[in-house]
Amino acid sequence: MAGISNSTSAFFDRSLGQMNDLRASLEKFQTQIATGVRIERGSDDPVAAARLRALTRLERRGETEAENAARLGQDLTQSSNEIVGVVEILQRVRELAVAAASDTAGASGREAIALEIEQLGEELFARANAVSITGAPLFAGTAGSPSFVRDAAGNVTYNGNGQNGTVPVAPGTQIERGVSGDQLFEFDVNGTPESAFNVLSGLALALRGGAADPAQAAQDALAGIDAALDSATRSQTIIGTRLDWVIAIQQNQETRAIDVAEQRSQVGDTDITDTIVRLQQVLTALEASQASFTRISSLSLFNAL
Amino acid sequence: MATSLITIGRTGIAASRAALELTAQNIANASNADYTRRRIDQSELVTTGRIDRLQRSTLNGVTIGTVDRLGNEFTQRQVRASTSDLARVEAEIAGLRGAESALEQSGLYESLVDFEAALTLLESDPTDPALRTAAVETARQMAETFQFADFALGNARDLAEAELGAGVDVINGTAAALARINVDLVGAREGTAGRAALLDARDAALRDLAQDVGIEVSFDQFGAAEVRLSAPGSPVLVSASSAATMTASITPGGPVEIQIDGAVVSPASGDIAGRVAALADYTQRQSELDAAAAATIARANTAQAAGATLDGSPGQPLFSGTRAGDITMVLGDGAGLAVAPAGSPAGSRDTGNLANLIAAFGADDGPIAGIDRTLLSLSSRIAGLDTTRNGLALIRESAVATMLSESGVDLDTEAANLVRLQQAFDANSRVIQVATELFDTILGLG
Repeated sequence: MAGISNSTSAFFDRSLGQMNDLRASLEKFQTQIATGVRIERGSDDPVAAARLRALTRLERRGETEAENAARLGQDLTQSSNEIVGVVEILQRVRELAVAAASDTAGASGREAIALEIEQLGEELFARANAVSITGAPLFAGTAGSPSFVRDAAGNVTYNGNGQNGTVPVAPGTQIERGVSGDQLFEFDVNGTPESAFNVLSGLALALRGGAADPAQAAQDALAGIDAALDSATRSQTIIGTRLDWVIAIQQNQETRAIDVAEQRSQVGDTDITDTIVRLQQVLTALEASQASFTRISSLSLFNAL
Repeated sequence: MATSLITIGRTGIAASRAALELTAQNIANASNADYTRRRIDQSELVTTGRIDRLQRSTLNGVTIGTVDRLGNEFTQRQVRASTSDLARVEAEIAGLRGAESALEQSGLYESLVDFEAALTLLESDPTDPALRTAAVETARQMAETFQFADFALGNARDLAEAELGAGVDVINGTAAALARINVDLVGAREGTAGRAALLDARDAALRDLAQDVGIEVSFDQFGAAEVRLSAPGSPVLVSASSAATMTASITPGGPVEIQIDGAVVSPASGDIAGRVAALADYTQRQSELDAAAAATIARANTAQAAGATLDGSPGQPLFSGTRAGDITMVLGDGAGLAVAPAGSPAGSRDTGNLANLIAAFGADDGPIAGIDRTLLSLSSRIAGLDTTRNGLALIRESAVATMLSESGVDLDTEAANLVRLQQAFDANSRVIQVATELFDTILGLG
């Protein structure tokens, strides 16, 4: 007889193994609840882990783009402020030019006007060379500082380039950084290339006696001033449009960040309710098997001897 | 006649005592995993005498026969095979988990994504010294993470190699012990308790061996085991009194070769097979890690060479080295990042070259995607093996249960035996008492 017996050590091994399994899954649930993370290591769920990595990269990218958009927004706001200043200067120059064009202004009056225009020219030059918070020129295109240089004779020339450069703010979306100095300060007057600096310095010179008829010269300068104003307000519109675009993108980024976070949560976070219920279920099973183990193992014939 | 009654009672007492002793032995070994339940054979003792045509049989009670070990070789073999299969998968999982920890927990992927993010951030303000410094420091961090991952992977590999070496030593020790048991078995007499103990030791040694490496076993008429690996064309590991020597030759970072007395074998199952498979996987992961590091170095340095730094000079290499173990950030400071295309003037805010680097670094054949693929394939492999392990564990559990149901000690049965044998002992004593009384009666006559 080969004899089939109910081996005692097999019973103990089996019970121990079952209770160990239950304990292991209890600990796993406990870890999931305590950390809030469902996947501890990639092999727990390889596909979900790969998705989590992709989402991490998306999230990181979203954060970067949000930061980029914020910085771009700052730069554009600063450019816009500078251009507002430029427009104010040009409007004041226009008022002065109109005043100088009237015959009532005497030589001393025109001298005072010329002085003020020169000072306004200085301010215009300073604004043209404005830099961002981090010290980068606002109106030099992609070139470095300074945007405009003035030679010994007082002639101002553009030192930058015509490219604005772009900033990535969303997948597939790049927004141009601002307007270049030549776009803002250089224009054509009756087919002749002119710059706002030239118009101002030319007018001041004419009012100081550089022209035979200063009043007429002031009158003639109005066309150039108007062109400069046109150019500045056009640039302001461009900047304003881009700023609006950045704001729209920022709202979009927030929505996308929430989307990504939600997906992350779905893929990788512990479903607390579900896990607690399962924990309770396993806990019940463990308690029951511990109780039944104690009772069954005490059922020995030796107790009856 | 009454004399014969006393003889019968005496043999009965002797038989019940022997059976009681064996029951006590069974109970004492109830929790000994290597013990096989014993049973004692008894047979009736009848002597027959003949004088001429007259034949008489005399009843002489019972003789104690041989000590039987319960259980059979078939279930033992199933336990060995399932143990080997499970051990292989468990060893491989343990090894691969080491690689997973090294590559995943080192945060290499996150570090690569951080570098990509730092570069993208730089596009917003390419001349900002803070952003440039941040990008360079992230590059340094990434290079260090590569080195750390390489170090951790190397450590895990060293550990697996050491375990393989230790496993081979254990196999050689068990094989030598088995050869000694074989010698003893040849000298042991059939049916004795000593032989049963030797067979227990033999089966335990075979089970230990099966944990380390998959084996094929055959037995000779004495029960001595001849052991080969369960691999085609395997030489003999243990035969009669001689045990061969197993060796593992490990090429650092390369393949592993298992030999028995110089002949190459490839174990199909057992701990050793799992470790060999894990080591092969390490070699592959190492080359993937090195490829990602090499791609990072090449792409960053190529982009640097095609661009101009903050002061307009040509870009210098960002990283030195050729693999994960020696990748080092060599650029002095953030100003040296070649963000603008070659030929751009100093202070240029053109980000054309930077955009190329970001595209090359984040491309589908770039290092980020490469590490992602490595992690996915590694964790998928582990998850797959884990499923296999669960199945194999069930198979082994049921094989062990089958074996124990034949060879394990059931305390209830033994308790019942105790009662029965005690009663038998009492009854036999009673027989002697009756015989004595019979004598007394006869002697008292007259």
